[in-house]
Amino acid sequence: MHELPVDAYTSQEWFNLEQEHIFSKTWQFAGLVEDVANAGDYISVQAGLNNIFIVKGKDNRLRAFHNMCRHRGTQLLRAVGKGKKAITCPYHDWTYNLEGKLVSIPKKEEEFPDLCNKELHDCGLNLHEASVDIFKGMLFVHPEKDAPNIMEFFGEVEPYLGPHIPEELIEYQEKKDGAFYTKEINANWKIIVENYIDQYHLAHLHEDTLNMYDHAKAEFGWAGPHYYFFEPLVPEYLADVKNASPYPLMDKMPEDKMGAYVPWLFPNIGITESESAWNTFHAIPLAPDRTLVVIRSKTMNVSEWEYTKQYTKSMSSKVWQNIGNKGKYEGDASDPMASGNFMEEDVYACEQQQKSLSSPLFSVGAQAKNGEFAVRKFQSVVKEWVEKYRDND
Amino acid sequence: MTDFYQLKVLEVKKETADATSIAFDVPLALYKTFNYKPGQYLTLKFNIGGEEVRRSYSLCSSPALEEPLRIGVKRVKDGLVSNYINDNIKVGDLVDVMLPNGRFFAELKKDNYKTYYLFAAGSGITPILSILKTVLLTEERSFVHMLYGNRSQDSILFNEELEKLQKEYADRFILVHTLSRPKSNWSDLWLSGKKDKIHRKGRVDTLAIEWFINEYPPYAQNTEYYICGPGTMIENTKKALQDIDVPNERIFIESFGGVTSSDVTEGIDNASLVAQLNGETIKTTISNGKTILRTLIDAGKNPPYSCEGGVCSTCMCKLKSGKVHMKNNLGLDKSEVDKGYILSCQSIPLTEKIEVIYE
Repeated sequence: MHELPVDAYTSQEWFNLEQEHIFSKTWQFAGLVEDVANAGDYISVQAGLNNIFIVKGKDNRLRAFHNMCRHRGTQLLRAVGKGKKAITCPYHDWTYNLEGKLVSIPKKEEEFPDLCNKELHDCGLNLHEASVDIFKGMLFVHPEKDAPNIMEFFGEVEPYLGPHIPEELIEYQEKKDGAFYTKEINANWKIIVENYIDQYHLAHLHEDTLNMYDHAKAEFGWAGPHYYFFEPLVPEYLADVKNASPYPLMDKMPEDKMGAYVPWLFPNIGITESESAWNTFHAIPLAPDRTLVVIRSKTMNVSEWEYTKQYTKSMSSKVWQNIGNKGKYEGDASDPMASGNFMEEDVYACEQQQKSLSSPLFSVGAQAKNGEFAVRKFQSVVKEWVEKYRDND
Repeated sequence: MTDFYQLKVLEVKKETADATSIAFDVPLALYKTFNYKPGQYLTLKFNIGGEEVRRSYSLCSSPALEEPLRIGVKRVKDGLVSNYINDNIKVGDLVDVMLPNGRFFAELKKDNYKTYYLFAAGSGITPILSILKTVLLTEERSFVHMLYGNRSQDSILFNEELEKLQKEYADRFILVHTLSRPKSNWSDLWLSGKKDKIHRKGRVDTLAIEWFINEYPPYAQNTEYYICGPGTMIENTKKALQDIDVPNERIFIESFGGVTSSDVTEGIDNASLVAQLNGETIKTTISNGKTILRTLIDAGKNPPYSCEGGVCSTCMCKLKSGKVHMKNNLGLDKSEVDKGYILSCQSIPLTEKIEVIYE
């Protein structure tokens, strides 16, 4: 019934296994291409057990290294200098070039006379290389230098994604450098994924919040280790979508493909590609029962005025009188089930499920054949990745 | 490796006013033997005016297509062989051809996901066209960004084929022409309207390369850079790439001669030569001005060689004693030179005694 033991959702042991065997061995979401827009720009991201440093060269190519100076291992790398041609660790100023080769050590002759009698870059102290690549406007890193190429990992799911071109959209940010939505959720990361890919709950938990989409017409399945999902708009919304849409409509979306593409890319990044927005949904495990969810949101690159016009039209559209923004139950707004906000509904469901896991009586009674098939499939992929390595250890 | 096969000319096609492409018929039995990698060349042997001459020409055909082997030959001013080919070769002729060879090629794999930057100038398009077609056909996800330099619209080789590829692979293939002396007058623009190919004005130089890479940054981050053209274009392009921190191991170059250098180094007159070749020890004298390779050929020996231009490295041998000067070295890298390897077709003696071994 359930592919994984309850332990997998509660124990530190499983958390560690996943960190080591899933999050440190797969392509990990690292941001959006514009985060490293210009030559010399750099970021560092935690990817499982590894902290990876990404820097863009003047040749417009991204490089990735393990963010760890080869001297004392400090996680301090940054790109410096005129033209940002060097990577340095400010602790003792050991310096590397953009290929990660060690090029200078202060006081080399006096302090490290016996280090190695070859050129510095042949001393075995170059930065550990990692891999970085781009998929659908998103940056991904992999801790291995010769990682399997990113399209071998995502290629199979690509045809099921939306027609959106994220590079052409602009990010919606309420405050500078702030993601659209950040929340620490008291649930294991897999509970959150399972909620994301569970088609069965859409018509129930989100009865009055996501009913602008036609759940009965949802098409979903599995491609490689990834989940794909599409559902069209309900006819009522579709008929007036030009007015009713809260934001300017995606220009790349033909009418017959109007809807929501909601794939989940293994292991921990979802995309929500709708008629008017394109979001990344990054679930970062913090502890067995805690997960940080970061959502970044992009919309059409048009003027403020276009947004104002669209908002005005949307507010006066009759569509929203009947659908979209009511809570499942009436009540105090502090009750997630009365909030009229589907994210609050989901967070609530996830946290309440996590609570039950410690009950001695907990079990999954049954699983929906179609609507929850993806949940089971996801669990089996997790199991496969962990067991593949555990048996060999 | 240095054997010749007689191949029949299948087609002779005038590509521009001063360039021809020649397709060869490879008999079924030799089909596998003649397999090649995109970027490699054929060495042709002719007897012109009683002298045996060999020249190498890059293949512009693609091994991924079921198409005949095809080379492109552009007339070189006062060039013996290129003009001979352009003037004389016709369908049905039998030509002596060596197996495809060359160290300039792209190693392609179906699952690769890369961005290929191709830089070509003039007839340097030939191996680049082969790489281009083969990448697009073989690697379904890879991208090609190509900058092609010519004098004017009229001198663009394989223009039709390039346009066809651009249409067919619009989502993965970017082609920018840069013309040093573009023909343009208002009446032309009027006639062709928007269909007129947009081109950049200028040569393939530092500015053009920086502009091109900024304008068309790589999507797939595993990038490779292939350069083919006359000597100065190669040097400029390589330097421009190095200036923006492209690492050397990602740059691949093929030089098409043009290095009529101002090299005036003179060799020692009548140096003695000891050469070990095919198990034989040959003792002879290098008369003034001759290369080690020519000395051996004139002595009736059969040393390996093909391009005789310092590019292909077929004539490579190891210097055991003495010193030589290489007039032109586009074939060997520094580590090979450090180990004592030389191109015998380019080497003139700098010491009284020279000893080499062909390995």
